[in-house]
Amino acid sequence: MNRVLLDYLISGKHHEFRKEFGEINDISEEYRRLGLSPKERMTRRFELLTSLETPVFLPEERICFLRTVKNVPDCFTGEEWEQIRKEHFIHEKGYLSNLSPNYEKALRGGLLSLREEADEYGKRMIDAVFALSDRYRQAAEECGKKEIARALAHIPRLGARSFFEALQFFRILHFSLWLEGNYHVTVGRFDQYMYPWLKADMEKGIHTEETALELLEDFFISFNKDSDLYVGVQQGDNGQSMVLGGSDNGEGTQFNLLSALCLRASRELMLIDPKINLRVNRDTPIEVFELGSELTRAGLGFPQYSNDDVVIDGLLKLGYEPEDAGNYVVAACWEFIIPHNGADVANIGALSFPGIIDKCLHEDLGRSETFEEFMEAVWKNIALECDRICDNIKDIWFVPSPFMNVLMDGGIYEGGKYNNFGLHGTGIATAVDSLAAIRKYVYEEKRITGEELVRAVDTDYEGNPTLLALLRNEAPKLGNNEASTNELLERLLGMFADALEGRVNCRGGKYRAGTGTAMYYLWHAGELGASPDGRRKGEPFGANFSPSLLTRINSPFSVIRSFSGPDLTRTINGGPLTLEFAASMFRGEEDVKKIAALVKAYITMGGHQLQLNAVNTEKMKEAQLHPEKYRQLVVRIWGWSAYFVELDRDFQDHVILRQQYEL
Amino acid sequence: MEGTIFDIKEFSIHDGPGMRVTVFMKGCPLRCAWCHNPEGLKPQPQLLYKKNLCSSCGNCLIPCAHSECRPWKRCIHACANGCLAVSGRRVTEKELAKEIFQYREFFELAEGGVTISGGEPLLQADFVCALAKRLGGMHKVIQTSGYADTEIYRRVTDRFDLVMQDIKLADPEMHREYTGVDNELILRNIEYLKRSGKRFVFRVPLIPEITDTPENLMRISEIAGDFPVELLKYNPLAGAKYDMAGMRFSLGEIRNRRDRFEGYFQNAVLVE
Repeated sequence: MNRVLLDYLISGKHHEFRKEFGEINDISEEYRRLGLSPKERMTRRFELLTSLETPVFLPEERICFLRTVKNVPDCFTGEEWEQIRKEHFIHEKGYLSNLSPNYEKALRGGLLSLREEADEYGKRMIDAVFALSDRYRQAAEECGKKEIARALAHIPRLGARSFFEALQFFRILHFSLWLEGNYHVTVGRFDQYMYPWLKADMEKGIHTEETALELLEDFFISFNKDSDLYVGVQQGDNGQSMVLGGSDNGEGTQFNLLSALCLRASRELMLIDPKINLRVNRDTPIEVFELGSELTRAGLGFPQYSNDDVVIDGLLKLGYEPEDAGNYVVAACWEFIIPHNGADVANIGALSFPGIIDKCLHEDLGRSETFEEFMEAVWKNIALECDRICDNIKDIWFVPSPFMNVLMDGGIYEGGKYNNFGLHGTGIATAVDSLAAIRKYVYEEKRITGEELVRAVDTDYEGNPTLLALLRNEAPKLGNNEASTNELLERLLGMFADALEGRVNCRGGKYRAGTGTAMYYLWHAGELGASPDGRRKGEPFGANFSPSLLTRINSPFSVIRSFSGPDLTRTINGGPLTLEFAASMFRGEEDVKKIAALVKAYITMGGHQLQLNAVNTEKMKEAQLHPEKYRQLVVRIWGWSAYFVELDRDFQDHVILRQQYEL
Repeated sequence: MEGTIFDIKEFSIHDGPGMRVTVFMKGCPLRCAWCHNPEGLKPQPQLLYKKNLCSSCGNCLIPCAHSECRPWKRCIHACANGCLAVSGRRVTEKELAKEIFQYREFFELAEGGVTISGGEPLLQADFVCALAKRLGGMHKVIQTSGYADTEIYRRVTDRFDLVMQDIKLADPEMHREYTGVDNELILRNIEYLKRSGKRFVFRVPLIPEITDTPENLMRISEIAGDFPVELLKYNPLAGAKYDMAGMRFSLGEIRNRRDRFEGYFQNAVLVE
């Protein structure tokens, strides 16, 4: 391992090369004055930023390109954005995100050939990339970095001739896409498209496994050089997701030597980027799960697994073509997207399941004679809420990215081959537990009246500790593999999918229901008071597809059975079951094998996606007190891993509160 | 037939091969000073009280009408903080087998099965035999101190595929001091086990300065011969549950000694 470069990076010394160019901060004013088109603005800004970049080589680094310009000023003024937001639905920051560009095409043919097909803006973008890489080449020649200089005389103009050139070329593309202003730029099926170069080099005797690993680690480090400049909800939420393995047509496994090397590189480096995802299915050999579990044991919260059997089937049902569905990757966290031609906006909104229950509790419980009548109201309100969310999304508009446009098959300005919108579903377990409690105590056992329950919820259970005790400790909870809660889970997910089925979005695409939460597990919980499951005001929901946060449930088998039970092909926007294991559980090789078997069990039983965490609560509490001593402590948040001490307190506390399974 | 259990643990990975479910039988004739399951000692159900979660609201002291609360002089349903729990559930072998069978799919995937632990399973020998019979061909492991009449020991272990047999202290005097009972019965059962042709593994807890001494380990090694031995490191959190069971943990804070413990044996592995 390249310890010198890694230590240099971890200590943050490369930040010394960063420069802030105050004078460019209001280019948007100038652009406005000149009345420039959005494409022109994007192109000019990119030309400007690349020209301000200084070539830098870090100690013993082989893959170069470092961001030295700190500030990326907006292309539009505040007033312009206000106007745009009046006319359009703007997703998040308005720039393109969560796309999986066609790196392979560029790596093979070189940017010169792509330039021929590009529009005038794309051509200028590519020229700006050439200008910067030429300056890097010159600098490399001047300081005797022959390997880099030689490579840059060929790439990025022409296609890569070796594994090294392919990695360096990727770095230039990835660097440029971020600099252009796109965010959550994903890596895609790296082991599939990159393997031919490695294979050829190994056949020629240029690389052994060990030298390839060393180079790969250098390359992995490059994902962490500029990531503090990448935008996200929290530091670490940057969407550099890499997908490994898979079985496109449901047969065999495409797990190759490079896939295995990537798992090893991640485990050795212990850096949070790139974020590793493993595509598996019921036929994936146990050895692959064991390699994955070795990485889990390291404590990075990687890999995240997705089940081809369920995901591909689900995507086919949504109308994706077989070849595209088989080629799926994940967006920033876990949303399933199609590389190269998909323009899905997989995180356009979120449905709060507990929000729906709360509304029905106040408006419909009193007038519902039976539980089924109450569930009818739940269904109506889910449909109404989906109406509200979807009706709000009109005339969506993204700032056009000419370089990203070059790297997406068929372009991206007006969308892509797929233009589906995905909705998260937040707090599913809180909602299921609430419904189970209502059914059992109000309708079946009649232990409490509807009014009593409403009053208790509205007063946050103050003055009714007995009811609170009953609901928190004795009521049925999702995750215990009980028929009553499992059935409600299946029904709620079905309602969510039904409510979105048949809708056409403003780009002519569909809507996809999902089981993820993103940051809404805190946001939606914050909007709500107490809930009928005994959750008190201020207590968060579970993250993603998980049991309620503060319930104590049996254990992994029950959780897996509960969460792999429903037909998940209909809620295939993505969102994993999350299991936290005490780090002390991973004592030796045998334990890792058992964890691997557990993952395989979830996949075999029809689960769609899974993330596992090896966590150490004591360490996290210590880190809250002495952050300076725990700079490298990594935890998994909702679809990405982060350095614990860089998170806001709410997010830290949530991880500490999650249930851990011990021996 | 009814028995008393105090826990069922899913995905227990240190209690035998593959993915397992472990059933903890309540009640034990031994009183090992280092026991980390104090709630498993008394054969009868008992109230556990988690003092650190208690806000002294007094709700549990308000008289209630629940018959199940009568023995405890408190309402066990009243605590919103979850401070109160009864440890010990009466269950028939049929019900318990049904609960275990739910997880058969997991066992089949990773050549796992069920482990019966405790407390001391031999204390409920008839129940354990009845349960084992119900479980049929499922892979079954028993963890035992071996403290029982040889007839009982033989009858129960015969129904299991693997016996995990403790050997704690070789010296009878020390055995009495630290576990409360003589080791004669245990050693006799071990001799039977060695001759029985059954699959088994010895388990030796490494309790600092008590069982982990060279002298004790060498004597245990003589007993174990070349049969497989697992050496279990002392868990510094062993005392964690004593307070809630209303008991005192006598060992206090002790640290694991460093040594090449496997070296005393012909065929041992150290379990971290």
